[in-house]
Amino acid sequence: MGDPLRVAIAEDSAVLRDGLVQLLVDRGFVITGAVADPESLRRSIERERPDVAVVDIRMPPTFTDEGLRAAIELRRLHPGLGILLFSQYIETRYAAELLADDAAGIGYLLKDRVADVSDFVEALVRVASGGTALDPEVVTQLLGASRRTDSISMLSGREKEVLSLMAEGRSNAAIATALVISDGAVEKHVANIFSKLDLPVSQSDHRRVLAVLRYLDS
Amino acid sequence: MIRVDEPGPEPGAQETIGPAPAPEHQGPAESSQLRPLLTQMFDVVVRQRSERTKEIARRIWHEPWAKRTWSEFFFTVLGAPMAGLGLAFVAFTMGAGALLTITFVGLFLIALGVHGARVIGGIHRNLARSLLDEEIEDPEPFVPRHGMFGWLQSTLRDRTGWRSLAYILVKVPLAALGITLGFAAWWDAFFCVTFPIWGGSGNHVAVFGLPELLFGPGFFSGGQAGFWHGLGVFFTGILFFFAAPWAVRVVVHLDRLVMRVLLAPDVLTARVRSLEQARTQTVDSSAATLRRIERDLHDGTQAQLVALAMRLGMAKEKLAGGDERDLQQVRQLVDDAHRGAKEAIIELRDLARGIHPPALDVGLEGALSTLTARSTVPTALSLSLTNRPTPAIEAIAYFCVAELLANVAQHSQASRATVTCTDNAGWLRVVVRDDGRGGAELSRLGSSSSGLTGLTDRVHAVDGRLDIMSPPRGPTVVTVDLPLHA
Repeated sequence: MGDPLRVAIAEDSAVLRDGLVQLLVDRGFVITGAVADPESLRRSIERERPDVAVVDIRMPPTFTDEGLRAAIELRRLHPGLGILLFSQYIETRYAAELLADDAAGIGYLLKDRVADVSDFVEALVRVASGGTALDPEVVTQLLGASRRTDSISMLSGREKEVLSLMAEGRSNAAIATALVISDGAVEKHVANIFSKLDLPVSQSDHRRVLAVLRYLDS
Repeated sequence: MIRVDEPGPEPGAQETIGPAPAPEHQGPAESSQLRPLLTQMFDVVVRQRSERTKEIARRIWHEPWAKRTWSEFFFTVLGAPMAGLGLAFVAFTMGAGALLTITFVGLFLIALGVHGARVIGGIHRNLARSLLDEEIEDPEPFVPRHGMFGWLQSTLRDRTGWRSLAYILVKVPLAALGITLGFAAWWDAFFCVTFPIWGGSGNHVAVFGLPELLFGPGFFSGGQAGFWHGLGVFFTGILFFFAAPWAVRVVVHLDRLVMRVLLAPDVLTARVRSLEQARTQTVDSSAATLRRIERDLHDGTQAQLVALAMRLGMAKEKLAGGDERDLQQVRQLVDDAHRGAKEAIIELRDLARGIHPPALDVGLEGALSTLTARSTVPTALSLSLTNRPTPAIEAIAYFCVAELLANVAQHSQASRATVTCTDNAGWLRVVVRDDGRGGAELSRLGSSSSGLTGLTDRVHAVDGRLDIMSPPRGPTVVTVDLPLHA
């Protein structure tokens, strides 16, 4: 990594905020601001222009979806900013709202994921560089709720695994590592999935995510 | 029947008083004892009785001209057509409705009858209010369900409507009684008193109303109409004139009693409504409680555990790296994780206690003594219960005491407090008292701690009461009354 990534954190639980700062500093990130509410986050981002923001969905004052609202607004104001939403629960509706127009530079993870430090950091880096990081839980829920059960059932077990990882926003290389198969094998599975589901082939990972999600959600 | 006594000493009394000499002339010691005694006796026997008699006479004399009498008379007169129309309406709707029950039209006619009865009942109620000053509360408004069949169903189940209908039916004999007894008394009085004018000169006899039944023609003069007969009828008229207000009053009083039962808000409906309100409060307050618990879990324990997992994750990666340099950091991470785990345990324990205090399992006494012992303001507990309340009541009592002691500690600046717990006749009474600065109000306390408003909701939910007495400069006494079993 050339320059260290600059990260803003908005999380109202002090114990978690401190932990995140500790973790990210330890991994060589620069923390531009660690705040507890959406308004402070807005100001901090205005001032410091970080690469990516980690945003808790439930924050003061109403403790409902302030973080989500703030994220949608921040994306409008700062198109280059990556946003990793961070939540105790997964609400598919939030994911749909967040990915309404674009999946580039968007992440949505359960807070538990920080326990697997490397995965979490990898997801954060991916979001910062314009990729997508969706929690496996989101993908599971989307797959479970999808009405395309017929076409999904045509996929082989391995292809379903690849589809899930693809939907999480992982690159072919990452999928290969996760499943312990070769890059070529992944490419072959991806091509099969796209032809079986009759999806347009797209080059960038986040476009691919969007295509898969739209497909599952429609 | 009632003797109009002239006030003043009766002969007997005078005899006793007469010989009693003035004290300054003779035997001062003897007569000074006797005189007050005699005066007292005179008061009791003569003056007081004559006062009462005078009062009765005064009332009899005034009653025919009193506003109340004429209001009641008017009410009685109006009652007759009202009763007739009401009966006709009920008879038509119910009769025709019953005949047509096979079709829906019949049901609708019956429903119309019930609903109309409600309206007529309202008219009777307003009449009683304006003419008799009879303050009967309005029953709850009619709220039909949606749609035609909803209306039908609600109307047929409308207890107020059915009770009004019952009143309309009972009103019929009442009105008949009012006319024959009350109205007729005035009627007779009028015709008897005026008899000498219109019938006294010739051979006419009294041939009307009750006097005719009682006396027959020429009663006062041996079957002969004439001067004495006319005079007799005239004085009978005077008698009726003073008796008529009372005859009307008796009937109207009967009517009042019936109205209070049948036209007042239905006790059962009112009870259902208050229960519905209490249920809504309970549902709301339990939803609020659940939300609070979720919030506490989310902000407290869950966050602690995530942070804990995160630190352990970092430590694990550093250990896997096997770099000697990281060992110090690993130690630090494990240290933090250890502390976090202990904090999470404490938070969970407090949270669990907030949901259900385990101390309550052994009874209110143990739970309250823990609570009072933990209070920052020195608190004495006195508890004497002959019956054990149900667990739900114990829990409410416990949370009341917990919340009230927390308020004492936060707001009262008290130096000591007492908690008293007694039971009497199926009720549990909890009194929390402090010697603080007072001035506590439910609204103020409620704004500073939403807990207390939540408590009143919980107390009301079981038909209990929560009273705050807190004058400025104290002391503050909060009394909670709860049924032992709910």
